[in-house]
Amino acid sequence: MTWEDFPYFVILCCGLWLLALVLLTGRKKTTEKISILLVVAGTLTLAVFITGLWISLERPVFRTLGETRLWYSLLLSLISLIIYFRWKYKWLLAYSIIMAMVFLIINYFKPENFDKTLMPALQSPWFIPHVIVYMISYAFLAAASFFGIIGLFLSYKRKSIESTMHLTDNIVYTGFAFLTIGMLFGALWAKVAWGSYWTWDPKETWALLTWLIYLLYIHFRINKNNNIKLALWILAISFFVLLTCWFGLNYLPAAQNSVHVYS
Amino acid sequence: MNEQQTPEKKSGVSSWKYSEGLFVSLILVFIGLIIEFATGGKGTSMPAWPANLLILVLFIAYIVVFYFLVNLPLKKWLSGVPVAISAICTFAFLVFLMGFIPQEATNHSSPLMTRLGLNHIVRSWPYLLSSTYLLFVLGLTIIRRIRPFSFKNISFLLNHLGLWIIIVAGSLGSADSMKLSMVLSRNIETIAAYNSQSQAFDLGFRLQLINFTIDEYPPELGLLSAKTGKSVNPDATRPEVKKGTTTMMGDWCVEITNFIENAKKDSAGYLPAANPGAPAAYITAKKHLQNITASGWVCSGSPFVNRQDLMLSDNEFIAMTLRKPKKFTSEIRAFYDDTQESFQLTVNKPYKFKGWTIYQSGYDEQMGKWSEISIVQLVRDPWLPVVYTGIFMLLAGALLMLWTGRSGTKKQQITI
Repeated sequence: MTWEDFPYFVILCCGLWLLALVLLTGRKKTTEKISILLVVAGTLTLAVFITGLWISLERPVFRTLGETRLWYSLLLSLISLIIYFRWKYKWLLAYSIIMAMVFLIINYFKPENFDKTLMPALQSPWFIPHVIVYMISYAFLAAASFFGIIGLFLSYKRKSIESTMHLTDNIVYTGFAFLTIGMLFGALWAKVAWGSYWTWDPKETWALLTWLIYLLYIHFRINKNNNIKLALWILAISFFVLLTCWFGLNYLPAAQNSVHVYS
Repeated sequence: MNEQQTPEKKSGVSSWKYSEGLFVSLILVFIGLIIEFATGGKGTSMPAWPANLLILVLFIAYIVVFYFLVNLPLKKWLSGVPVAISAICTFAFLVFLMGFIPQEATNHSSPLMTRLGLNHIVRSWPYLLSSTYLLFVLGLTIIRRIRPFSFKNISFLLNHLGLWIIIVAGSLGSADSMKLSMVLSRNIETIAAYNSQSQAFDLGFRLQLINFTIDEYPPELGLLSAKTGKSVNPDATRPEVKKGTTTMMGDWCVEITNFIENAKKDSAGYLPAANPGAPAAYITAKKHLQNITASGWVCSGSPFVNRQDLMLSDNEFIAMTLRKPKKFTSEIRAFYDDTQESFQLTVNKPYKFKGWTIYQSGYDEQMGKWSEISIVQLVRDPWLPVVYTGIFMLLAGALLMLWTGRSGTKKQQITI
C-alpha cells in the first residue's frame, strides 16, 4: 500500500463517515447505533491504510506533516469513540469526524509526503512514543476546544454549563497530561540525539508556550467562581497556539533554522 | 491598614487578587527591561560552580525563611492561584515573544531590540526576574502544600516540585555544562576539543578515528523543468533507483536498465569503480502515447565524478538526487594514560567516557561515504541527574494526572 492508493481510502473512509454524520442527526436509537458502526468502519479503513503504508515504507509513518495528520485523524476518531462509549456525547463524535475528514482532505490535496527517507536523528526508539503521545494529546485538546465552543455558546445564551465544564476540564486534564509526557519524552530523546535536553529550538519554544497556556487554563479553573467565559476564551486561544506550533511554525520568521522543520 | 473596616470586608493584602498579581509581575518585567537597557543589552550570565550552588542554597533558604516569617495574608496571597496565574502569564508572554522574534543577533537586528534584550530573551534581565519570581511563588506554594504531608497531595507535589527542580537545575546548571566538538581523522590521535567560541580544551585523553561508515538510502530520480531547474511536480513520489524497475514520471515511462552504485566515467560511459566514484544509472524514457524516447546515463555526481542529467525534451530533464545518509557510524579508539578503549558511535547512540558523553555529530558531507573525518561532540553536564530527577517526577505526576483527572485536584479548591 502506498500513497498512490490513498485516494481510494479517503473516499471510502469519508463516505462511511459522511453517512454516519447524516444518521447521527436522527433521533432513533437504531440509527444512532448504525452510525456508530459506520464511524468504526471508517476508522478501521484508515487504520488499515496506515498499517499498509508503514509496511510498504519500511519505516514508522511519523515523519512528515502529512503522516502526522493521518495519525491525528485516526486518533481523533478513536478518542471520540471512546468518549462516546463512556459519556454518549454524539455531537463530539460528529465534530471529531468532521475534523478528521478535514485533515484527510488536506492530505489529499497537499500530501507533503514524497520523502521515503528517515534522517539518522529520527532513527530512535523515542520517535514513535514522542509523536504518538503528542497526537493523542492534540486529539484530546481538540475535543476540549469543541466543548469550549459549546460552553461559550451556552454561556452567551445564559444556559447552565456546569456539566459541560466538568467534562471539558476532565478532557483538558487528560490532554495536558499527554502534552506533558510528549514534551518530556522529547527532552529525553533530544539529550540522546543532540546532547541537550532543551535548546530553545523554535518548535520547543512553541511547545512550551502551548503547555503554559493550558497550564494557565487549569489554574484559572481551580476556583470555580472565576469568570467562565474568560476561561473558555483561554481554551480557544490555547488551541490556536497548539495549531501554530504544529503547522504554522514553518511560516514564522523565528523558525527558519528549526531542527523540527523536516520537509 | 484600615482597622475600622468590618470583619467581612477584607482589606489590604487579604483583598489582593489578580490585578495586584499582574501588577507585581509586570513591574518585574519593566525593571528587567530598564536594567537590560542600562547595561547595554549585554544580558545575564549564570555563575559557575560553586557560586551557583551557593545561589541555590540561599534561594531555598530565602523561600523557607520568607514563608515562616511573613504574615499570613501575604503568604496566602503569594502562594495562591491569582499570583500563580499572573506569574505564568508573564512568563508565557516572554516565551511568546521568543516564538516570534528570531533569537539570534544578526547584522539585521535593530539596535533597540538588542538593547532591550528581545533577541536574547533567555539571557535577558526580564526573563531572569520573571522566572525567579515564578520559582519563588512556586516554592512558597510547595512549602504550603507539604505541611502537613498527605498522600492526597502526591500528584500536586510531583508536578510542582518536579517542575521547580527542572527549571532551577536547568538554569543554574547551564554555566557548568560544556559542549565541545572534536574533528577526528584516521591515524591521528586528536587532543584538542573546541567550544562554540573556538577555544581549545585539553580533556586529558586522545581520540582517534579507526573507521567511518555510512549506510545510505538509494538515490532517487527527479523530473525537473529545464527553465527553472526545479522539480516539475514537487509532490510527486520520486522513484528510487533500482536496476530493472519501470515507473511513470509525469508523462514519461522511465525504465532503469542499469545501475552502478559506485561508478567512474569512461569515454564509453560509466563503469564500476574501485576508487571513490558516484552512483550512475542508465535509463530509457518513453513519452506516454507518443513515439518519443530518450536514453542515456544519469549520475548524481560527487567530488570525484561530475553530475550527469538526461535531457528528455527542451523543457524537461531527469536528474539523480544525492544519496541521503541512513546511518553513520564511527569506530573510535580512546587513549587515556597508558590504557586504551575502543567503541562505536552512531547518531542516537552516544558513549560515556571519563565523565563525558560523546556523540556522533557529523562528517565531511561533500565527501559523503568517502569522508576521511568524523566530527564528534563531547558533552558534560554535572547537573543532569538533578534535572532528570525533576523530569521523572513530572512524568510520574503526569501519569497520576491521567489516572485521577480533574478530581485529583479537588482538595485544592478547598484550600484556596
